[in-house]
Amino acid sequence: MALLEVDDLSVTYSPRDGTPVRAVDGVSFEIADGEFVGLLGESGSGKSTLGNAILRLLDKPAAVSGGSVRFDGVAVTSASEEEIRPLRWAKISTVFQSSMNSLNPVITIGAQFADTFAAHGREGDPATLLDLVSLDADVLRRYPHELSGGMKQRVALALALALEPKFVLLDEPTTGLDVVVQHNILQRLRELQSQLGFAVLFISHDLGTVMEMADRVMVMYAGELVEDQPARAMMSAQLHPYTQGLLGSYADPRATEISVDYIPGRPPDLSRPQVGCRFAARCPVAIDDCSTQHPQLLPAGAGTARCLLVERAGLVDARRARSFVAVRAEAPAVDPVLTVTDAAKEYRGKRAVDGVSFELRPGQVTALVGQSGSGKTTIARLVTGVERPTSGSVTFTGGVDVGSLRGRKLRAYRRHTQLVFQDPFAALNPTRTPAYALSRPLQNHLGLSKAQARTRAGELLETVGLHPASQYLDKLPHQLSGGQRQRVVIARALAPEPRILVADEPISMLDVSIRAEILELLDNLVRTRQLGMLYITHDLLSARLLADEVLVLNEGQVVERGRTLQVIQNAQATYTQELLDAIPNPVTRS
Amino acid sequence: MRYFLRRAGFFLATLWAAITLNFLIPRLQPGDPAEAIVSRLGGQSQAIDPAQVESIRKMLGTPDGNLLTQYGDYLAAVARGDFGISYTYFPYSVTHMIGQGLPWTLILVGVTQVVSFVAGTLLGAWAAYRRNSRVDSVITLGSTFVGTLPFFWLALVLIYVFAITLNWFPTGGGYGGGSDPGWNWLFFSDAFQHSILPAVSLLIVGPIGWIIGMRNNMVQTLGEDYARLARAKGLPRRRVALTYGARIAVLPNVTGFAIALGGILGGTVLVESIFNYPGLGRMMLEAVSNRDYPLMQALFLFITVGVLIANLLADLLYGVLDPRVRREEAG
Repeated sequence: MALLEVDDLSVTYSPRDGTPVRAVDGVSFEIADGEFVGLLGESGSGKSTLGNAILRLLDKPAAVSGGSVRFDGVAVTSASEEEIRPLRWAKISTVFQSSMNSLNPVITIGAQFADTFAAHGREGDPATLLDLVSLDADVLRRYPHELSGGMKQRVALALALALEPKFVLLDEPTTGLDVVVQHNILQRLRELQSQLGFAVLFISHDLGTVMEMADRVMVMYAGELVEDQPARAMMSAQLHPYTQGLLGSYADPRATEISVDYIPGRPPDLSRPQVGCRFAARCPVAIDDCSTQHPQLLPAGAGTARCLLVERAGLVDARRARSFVAVRAEAPAVDPVLTVTDAAKEYRGKRAVDGVSFELRPGQVTALVGQSGSGKTTIARLVTGVERPTSGSVTFTGGVDVGSLRGRKLRAYRRHTQLVFQDPFAALNPTRTPAYALSRPLQNHLGLSKAQARTRAGELLETVGLHPASQYLDKLPHQLSGGQRQRVVIARALAPEPRILVADEPISMLDVSIRAEILELLDNLVRTRQLGMLYITHDLLSARLLADEVLVLNEGQVVERGRTLQVIQNAQATYTQELLDAIPNPVTRS
Repeated sequence: MRYFLRRAGFFLATLWAAITLNFLIPRLQPGDPAEAIVSRLGGQSQAIDPAQVESIRKMLGTPDGNLLTQYGDYLAAVARGDFGISYTYFPYSVTHMIGQGLPWTLILVGVTQVVSFVAGTLLGAWAAYRRNSRVDSVITLGSTFVGTLPFFWLALVLIYVFAITLNWFPTGGGYGGGSDPGWNWLFFSDAFQHSILPAVSLLIVGPIGWIIGMRNNMVQTLGEDYARLARAKGLPRRRVALTYGARIAVLPNVTGFAIALGGILGGTVLVESIFNYPGLGRMMLEAVSNRDYPLMQALFLFITVGVLIANLLADLLYGVLDPRVRREEAG
């Protein structure tokens, strides 16, 4: 008998006013004692819902609509809350997504350990537990808001191990943390797991991390498991075309020639009945039968897969079906459109940015790489004229000193520096259509009439790949997918015909399967429109794909700069090394 | 510590501004109270005799001199608690009149406010704890329904049913003719009888806001990750609801309550007029309709200071209850 047995489990959301959505559909799997299993899927695939069903934490309107979960011999799905309570935390504990909000804000960390022990009539030493995750015992006297994101995450992990559980469910435990911090926490987790021997279900959209951490990986798509294989086998031979696409979105940034795959389209609408393979519409190798026959999860390779082609031929190859190949020819020496010279910015006597110099050139991308607090965003603010440098200068083409612009002149300058934001959900007014969002800059900066602006807005949407534009002009943001929204945000940035584009982590909130698509779009726009682009990121791989030149920032100072490939291949600064090490590298796992 | 000092400093600055505004605003108003009194005494037809106006002005002690000396005198008087003579209740001083009205208002509204807050918060928490159950529906729908009824209508219905038709309680006033105000049993029981209807009417509408606020806050906090994690930790359900739900959800209500306490005086005009209750609210109405500037000014100042003190208390209390606030202010 396995530790956890999930049998034909379905979870349905039945909102009062809306069609029911079957978010988890007939999922079966087992996890053995001490096994480390990854569950991979993009947003909306049902992976977190599945996790909540296992923990019996589903809230209305979600409910188990079929199948069962057994944990350590107890029927979790049918037991009463009082029967479940002794299981909770003593045998099955969890760390939630990012954990930023999973600690009670008004009581101390110590109190949160204490109530956990008290609820189970157990005694324990929180200081030892904190020591496991490399935290000082004085954290116990602190409140959650006094800790950094990484520290809170460590606390959450220590808390999860407090009662020595047999099973820990980790739901995106490091999303939203800095790459280096993320890397350290996951390392520690893996060590603790082999030391203490608990089983893990590790839920993530981040394939690189999952592959690196897990013994066995399950892939979920549109509510179903589509593949389940040992990590090592999946690494050398991915069965399902979806998995192949996902894995293709990773690459070693140190490689001289580099390309990444993407999967266009979006998952199906699960409130409608599904016929055929749910991935068929996005699958590059789908055949006619795929849209009419629903494939079963059948043994294949070293595990199981849900694909008609695998079933019939034993093997499919969907790799490199659609990929973004980064071509970085030696960039021509053109005059810069913006020059930053020895710029510094102080806030209350603290230097956020110190002695930074770089140029933005038309048709080229300069990447700023660094973790949060390194001064990336302050530099973006200096470039856009939102902040003035404390010393040094920011000079726009034609000798315009950006730091001294005011009023009308500053407004005129801002037309030339447009922003693409990190969160496409927050960057668009939820009550306004793309037509409106795009018309505002057109009318304000270019003085177009309403009718002209609408026509131009349509053209812009086509430019960013939303085709036909008439289908998107009058939608509201919530009717668009994350990728589509980010395209609208990019179109809006292009609207006033700027010379400079500042993109602040434009892909970090998007699903892995579509990131490369957005990068390719940005790349095209920069080359064809001769924009100077400042690309801000913490991710060296995307910098490698997009940028001609890279500046690595640490604590407000440039620690390394140069041609992207050179910097990455011969990283000198320790900080750059750390960033490189932090990139999950499934391919070279030992 | 720094948080508390900052709050206190802010309080003093606002207090000074409020006192100053209270001094300036009546002096910017058109019209002369002395003339108004003369014309009321003599009727509309008679011409106003300047000598009469002057003598009334003397009698009322209307201030003269330039604005700055007036301001100085005013501050000194406020510090002494001297607000002059009431025009309406001549020859009583304003301070005396406020002293007369204050206990009535404080007891009636103070007690009902505290009871409303406690009851409303508990009911709201219960509704959130039993979310989507019948208890929740009854509490939520019931309070929404009662909340839509106009207060004066409710009060009039109570008077009609319990005072006029059933004759259980008096229709209004603070005490009956048979008793004299003083420390005796007869007066207390009489005053208590008179306070029941106004108190009940206040208690019907009072908790509504707290119920709805508390329920909605707590439904939200119970849906947060920390509350879900507390459930996953196997904490007993009631403990999750208290420490991880109510404890956090009550915070905005505490601020609201302190501010509501400060607003007691302003909020009693309606209830005291309907029940003809001898408190400050009714006094304010009379002061306004009689252009009794000294009384009005003193009452307005009273209200302002009340709100300010309540705000200070709310801030201080919030600092104790919510560790997050202390940090943000310090940083």
